[in-house]
Amino acid sequence: MDDPTYDTRLAEFETRIARGEKIEPGDWMPDAYRKQLIRMISQHANSEVVGMLPEGAWITRAPNLRRKMVLLAKVQDEAGHGQYLYHAAETLGISRDEMIDALLEGRAKYASVFNYPTLGWADVAAIGWLVDGAAIMNQTMLAHCSYGPYSRAMVRICAEEGFHKKQGQEMIIRYSQGTPAQKQMAQEAIDRWWWPALMMFGPHDSDSPNTPQLMRWGIKTRTNDELRQEFLDELVPGIQALGLSVPDPEMHYDEATGHWVGREIDWDEFWRVIKGDGPMNASRLAARRKAHEDGRWVREAAAAYAQAMG
Amino acid sequence: MTDQWPRYEVFKQDRTDGPFRNVGSVHAPDAELALMNARNVFARRPACVALWVVPDAAIARRTAEQLAAGDAVEIEDSGDSGRYAVFSKQSQRQTMTYVDYVGEVTARSVEAALQTAADTFTDVPGIVWWACPVEAITASPQSDLPGFEAATSKLFRMPNQYHTVFTMQKIRRGEEGEE
Amino acid sequence: MDAAVRDALSARLLAMADDELVLAHRNSEWTGHAPILEEDIAFTNMALDELGHASIWYGLYGELTGEDADRLIFFRNAGQYRNAQLVELPRGDWAFSMVRQYLFDAAEYVTLNHLKASSYSPLAEAAAKIATEESYHLRHTGLWLRRLGLGTEESHGRAQAALNVLWPYARQLFVPLPNDDVLVEAGIFPAAGLLLNEWTSMTRSHLADCGLTVPEEALPRRDVDRAEHTEHLMALLAVMQSVARLDPEAEW
Repeated sequence: MDDPTYDTRLAEFETRIARGEKIEPGDWMPDAYRKQLIRMISQHANSEVVGMLPEGAWITRAPNLRRKMVLLAKVQDEAGHGQYLYHAAETLGISRDEMIDALLEGRAKYASVFNYPTLGWADVAAIGWLVDGAAIMNQTMLAHCSYGPYSRAMVRICAEEGFHKKQGQEMIIRYSQGTPAQKQMAQEAIDRWWWPALMMFGPHDSDSPNTPQLMRWGIKTRTNDELRQEFLDELVPGIQALGLSVPDPEMHYDEATGHWVGREIDWDEFWRVIKGDGPMNASRLAARRKAHEDGRWVREAAAAYAQAMG
Repeated sequence: MTDQWPRYEVFKQDRTDGPFRNVGSVHAPDAELALMNARNVFARRPACVALWVVPDAAIARRTAEQLAAGDAVEIEDSGDSGRYAVFSKQSQRQTMTYVDYVGEVTARSVEAALQTAADTFTDVPGIVWWACPVEAITASPQSDLPGFEAATSKLFRMPNQYHTVFTMQKIRRGEEGEE
Repeated sequence: MDAAVRDALSARLLAMADDELVLAHRNSEWTGHAPILEEDIAFTNMALDELGHASIWYGLYGELTGEDADRLIFFRNAGQYRNAQLVELPRGDWAFSMVRQYLFDAAEYVTLNHLKASSYSPLAEAAAKIATEESYHLRHTGLWLRRLGLGTEESHGRAQAALNVLWPYARQLFVPLPNDDVLVEAGIFPAAGLLLNEWTSMTRSHLADCGLTVPEEALPRRDVDRAEHTEHLMALLAVMQSVARLDPEAEW
């Protein structure tokens, strides 16, 4: 580092985090802290925006009026969450234009889970219970994050997200106790979303090189594997209590550790989908690009009007 | 020109006797639409009684760290004095809001208003200070209040409308499901 | 309630509910595909509000007829729907959806204003509740129409093209139902002609402010009955009803 005061400043920075203070825009921060946050937050924002698509397709098909309103409100919240998160990233000196361009040009990542297809109505339910359930665990952790704007976005998101999980769980419960067609629909949906949900927690801690630094700087407070285990311990007994099963013949309760243990995740698939080769990657990005291109004249018109009214 | 439009900081008031608090921002081509967007983004749920939007560019900001480091607040005594709205972050508590409206000060520039605010509102913890010219604030009209209250009718957004925990317990006990 | 009044009122309520439902469906197609994130949220809000309004109107209809909203929505065929064709047309581009929404919002606005004084108190109470959301929609679409009309050459062209198609369709919102006169006489629902006049002066003046020209030559068209539909409604219902009809006995 060229800055002779770097070590002192770093020590002060780390002391502040240790004291539980939030780092705010304008405060000194190591460049690596800023870069890690921009990476994480923009990826998170992009995930919310792409995440509107798999469920959004079912708004027009929701089977009763209440489900239709609930799903609309949920997908709308996802747009809102993307909005809050882009805002948090913007405070680090990156613009929403840059983040959206990176997404549309395929340079930015988003949660791989949204590259899987929704093939039935109960997939909406499984996404709520499993995918949002997994997301909430991660987000609850991130609400404690040391960076003020990210933490605040997460607190707001967690407060809103509670109903996302519950509406999904409510449906799976109902369908598991419902007609044979509904029960089959629910089981198929859990089969489809189980592994993608487990993958949401990211690679094993041993393959997650950023984790130690992220924990030291209070960005993450728990590891991928810890969160994944908590998810298993909550979800497996819940799903089984409903007379449904998880698509993992090796899943069992380990008396010695008191945890549920199953088969290893297919990591080849995990890395393949991250690198763009999932069932819906191309289609998701194409949908986002189309919305962006089709909307350009609208954004331009409003900007031109504002300029003319000056 | 940015394709995503400029940014407006949004301040929300939860109760008529409560402070305006910074909740985030919206992108909008102008203040009129910014106010509209702010309502759609931040008043989907209760509670909201009023909103302010302020162009990002009109706001000056300093953290306590910056003020302590003496990050120069240059007082331009050449300018005419004007009224500035000032805001501060008052706690390290984990919360979803940032700076709260504190009051107005008279100063010769927005930068000077920050220092004046810190010197004036000495009983307010100032972890972060914001200031903007009062005329940069666009406020929602009083007549919007019933519209904000309409959010209370969208109960399905509330987690307490879903009795999943209770229903799971019943099923585990072997009783009939359904809430 | 007199049987003639009840029949007339239930026919009117069903038309209002179907309008809201079908328009909400079209608006919800924008969720995830709008020009900017803030508009994804805004248009979804309008769709949500409209579903809420539909639910209220179906509820009042149900009080008179004993029919259930979900049965009505998911198990009627296109020929049994009573929405205006305006709301069933495909969403088109952003200008088309926005102009349609504006014309509809203005119609709802003038209607609700009268309904607040309806002699049928459930209708008056519902109208007062809905009117607060509706005036917000009208403001949103009103502001946007100005930006589209006066923004760029392209936006003006698209908004004008949309208006040319939609203006005659919007008129169907004010075609009286066969027994409306019973409702007018009882002070329950205002005369369609009165609403049309108020709507016309309101929209004409705003459209002119937005630099848009009302397509005079497109009028008058014949009074289209609400039992008549385009094929777009059939396609819309095929999607909307697909899951519910998989298992008609199921509770979702």
